[in-house]
Amino acid sequence: MIEAFVSGFWQVLAWPAFGYLLIGITVGFFVGLLPGIGGLATLALMLPFSYTIKEPVPAFCFLLGMLAVTGTTGDLTSILFGIPGEGSSAALILDGYPMSKKGEAGRALGAAIMSSLIGSVVGALALALSIPIMRPLVLLFGSPELFIIVIMGITFIGTLSGRSMMKGLLAGGAGLMLAAIGVDPQTGSLRYTFGNLYLWDRLDLVPVVVGLFAIPEIVDLAVRGTSIAGSKPEKLTGVWDGVVDNFRHFWLVMRCSLIGVYFGVLPVLGANVAQWISYAHAVRGLKDKNAAGKGAVEGVLGPGAATTSTRGGDLIPTVAFGIPGSGSMALLLGALLIVGLQPGPEMLKTRLDVTFAMVWILIIANIIVCGVCFLILNQLAALTFIRGHLLIPFLLFFVFIGSFTANNSYGDLIVTLIFGVMGYLMVLFQWPRPPLILGVTLGKIAENYLWISTAAYGAKWLLFPSVVILIMITIVTVAYPTITIKERTGRARYERPGDAI
Amino acid sequence: MKSTALLLFVFLLWHPAAQAQEPFYKGKNLTIVVGTKAGDVYDLYPRLLAEYWSKYIPGNPNIIIQNVAGAASLIAANQVYNLGKPDGLTLGAIYPALYFDQLTKRPEVKFDWTKFNWIGSTVRSNHLLYMRADTPYKSMEDVRKASTAPKCGATGTASTGYYMPKLFEETLGTKFDIVAGYQAGQDIDLAVERGEVQCRAFTITAYFAREPFISWRKRNFVRVLIQTGKKRDEKLSDVPTIYELMDRYKTPEPPRRLTTVVLAAGDFGRPIVAPPGVPADRVKILRDGFAKAIRDPNLLKEADKRQLEIDPTSSEELESLAKEVIAATPEVVERMKKLIGQETK
Repeated sequence: MIEAFVSGFWQVLAWPAFGYLLIGITVGFFVGLLPGIGGLATLALMLPFSYTIKEPVPAFCFLLGMLAVTGTTGDLTSILFGIPGEGSSAALILDGYPMSKKGEAGRALGAAIMSSLIGSVVGALALALSIPIMRPLVLLFGSPELFIIVIMGITFIGTLSGRSMMKGLLAGGAGLMLAAIGVDPQTGSLRYTFGNLYLWDRLDLVPVVVGLFAIPEIVDLAVRGTSIAGSKPEKLTGVWDGVVDNFRHFWLVMRCSLIGVYFGVLPVLGANVAQWISYAHAVRGLKDKNAAGKGAVEGVLGPGAATTSTRGGDLIPTVAFGIPGSGSMALLLGALLIVGLQPGPEMLKTRLDVTFAMVWILIIANIIVCGVCFLILNQLAALTFIRGHLLIPFLLFFVFIGSFTANNSYGDLIVTLIFGVMGYLMVLFQWPRPPLILGVTLGKIAENYLWISTAAYGAKWLLFPSVVILIMITIVTVAYPTITIKERTGRARYERPGDAI
Repeated sequence: MKSTALLLFVFLLWHPAAQAQEPFYKGKNLTIVVGTKAGDVYDLYPRLLAEYWSKYIPGNPNIIIQNVAGAASLIAANQVYNLGKPDGLTLGAIYPALYFDQLTKRPEVKFDWTKFNWIGSTVRSNHLLYMRADTPYKSMEDVRKASTAPKCGATGTASTGYYMPKLFEETLGTKFDIVAGYQAGQDIDLAVERGEVQCRAFTITAYFAREPFISWRKRNFVRVLIQTGKKRDEKLSDVPTIYELMDRYKTPEPPRRLTTVVLAAGDFGRPIVAPPGVPADRVKILRDGFAKAIRDPNLLKEADKRQLEIDPTSSEELESLAKEVIAATPEVVERMKKLIGQETK
């Protein structure tokens, strides 16, 4: 085991593997940075290139290296521009962007980069440590358990609601209803598709998130007529402060990293859900509830760590069973087959070194990208001082290209526009957007697992010990803040500062 | 001015002639519109083909893959069928069972299955049904006699995981409880491993090419109860085919006709189509090129490496098959509606 661990490390550093890793990191760096264009779409584009790489470790250096860093650089776009760099970086906008506007961009970036690094290392270590217990770990959760976990996720709508619980619940409900659009898998009936084929496959999350978060910011930028950071071009300060924040809130970062790993392991869930759960977890712990959404560094640390740690978690079912934990893992699985490896129990026996190489790729890629990020932070932050009018065309271009990569369909662009208008109105009338996203993300999953549980076990699943325990945990997490905090001055706020629009 | 007009005239005279000497596909892009997302198995085949096909098309066009995913490749099929200019430069790689939607008269269907120009299919896909070995269902006979039906996992109603067990119900009198809604096929396998469901119907190819089935077979975790090919697959020589069982249980004629129409999807395999209206000579070029490319030793070697089985269906066979399935009687169509979850009104 130790031998394979060491051998994996050297294989990643060997030539040409390391060269491929650097190429992968470079691609991933820009993909993450560009709004909307996501890791999954890029992975699909890059997959054919990997066919020419005949050895497994170099091929993985390229693909996994690319995927590993998209989360980190995606966070930077969210913080600096208030536009999600990746679908899974949207939660960083809530507190990261207000920090940028307060002139604390440096601290926010430092915090995000460092938490991403910690998250990725935790994710990679979780992958390494779980190798002996992978199978029982993955088999632990059946459909009934997953259903309750999703319900637990839905309860976080409360925390993400901001000032007005009623608006939050309504937005969450609207999200759940939007999730019903499409072909229903149980009976094949078409729901809310209006004869439109694009809607058969349900709303894709990328155009929804990009529309909801990016378009309002772009409109806002246009209306204000200034640069994002206002008119005070200063040098970025406080980066180190942000790095240190990770250690001030070390256990928060660790807990959120573990949330990420956990959601990565669970099928279907993943970074898209983990970011909101960890954000909610982070702002719940705030002493001053009013600080959330106004630039609390905790709201950056939590999702920053969780999105990168899901990568390690994702790999666990992929490697243990040859069953991918997410869309990007399904593509990686294809790449494994092409280089002649059969992921699954057999690979753990015969090519354990490749598994450990994956662990090392996750770690090394993130260390490198963190270093690069720190080096170029000032140049990146300088973008926020460019006049809005010059920036907007590029932002719009990337936003729509990014949405289009979801399905290569004009439907993607229309959805982006519709949700853009909706997002703008929601900001204008102070409706919280995260509950809507959470509803759209979790609605379909909840519905499916409820159906599966009932079809497979009737009503008996409600009495499974594991289900009962999870229900109790859910009730406690919902009730806990109400019990402990007698003097609630208000709930977590997500809204942008009042001077926004 | 005059000389320019003259030059133009000469050019126009010369130009078509020059083109006639050069192969049509020279210097052009040939686009294959794939009906799934990139990286899907349905996408891997056209991508593999694209690497070798060009060599066998005079003029060696540049072959491009474009993914137009959605609605189980119905979007791609509609798009390719209704091209503004069917010039033979755009082809489609679509799901084989789309004719179900035409037969059941889905209003969204904007094509006529029989009018596609069939180019060829890379692999036939017969199906099997596996059952966890620790269940009391050792054969289809056991399932027939069982008092509680085994539970089979499926993604949606349009998937083989759903309609294959339904077909067995129709033809063999077996009862299956179908648990639909899983995200992907692999999630069903995981659910089988957990014991949430016990069975799943899917392609024989995947069963022999992938994990978790390789380890499952090693530890005798599942048992294959039935296969849908006309003959027994040589790797599954002890598993009865649906046809053998229909003979044993004396299945009457109407369900048999349904079987023929439904299982034809396996013969369509993973088809490549051109829209109607493409000039016949170009269709011929594409068909001949396909037939040669799919036997290219380098392609076969590469396919083997990528664990993609190759078992082509010819364009002629696809064409007659298409006519055959669309000629299905209204009675068969009614039965089919039941099969894919559309209750008849």
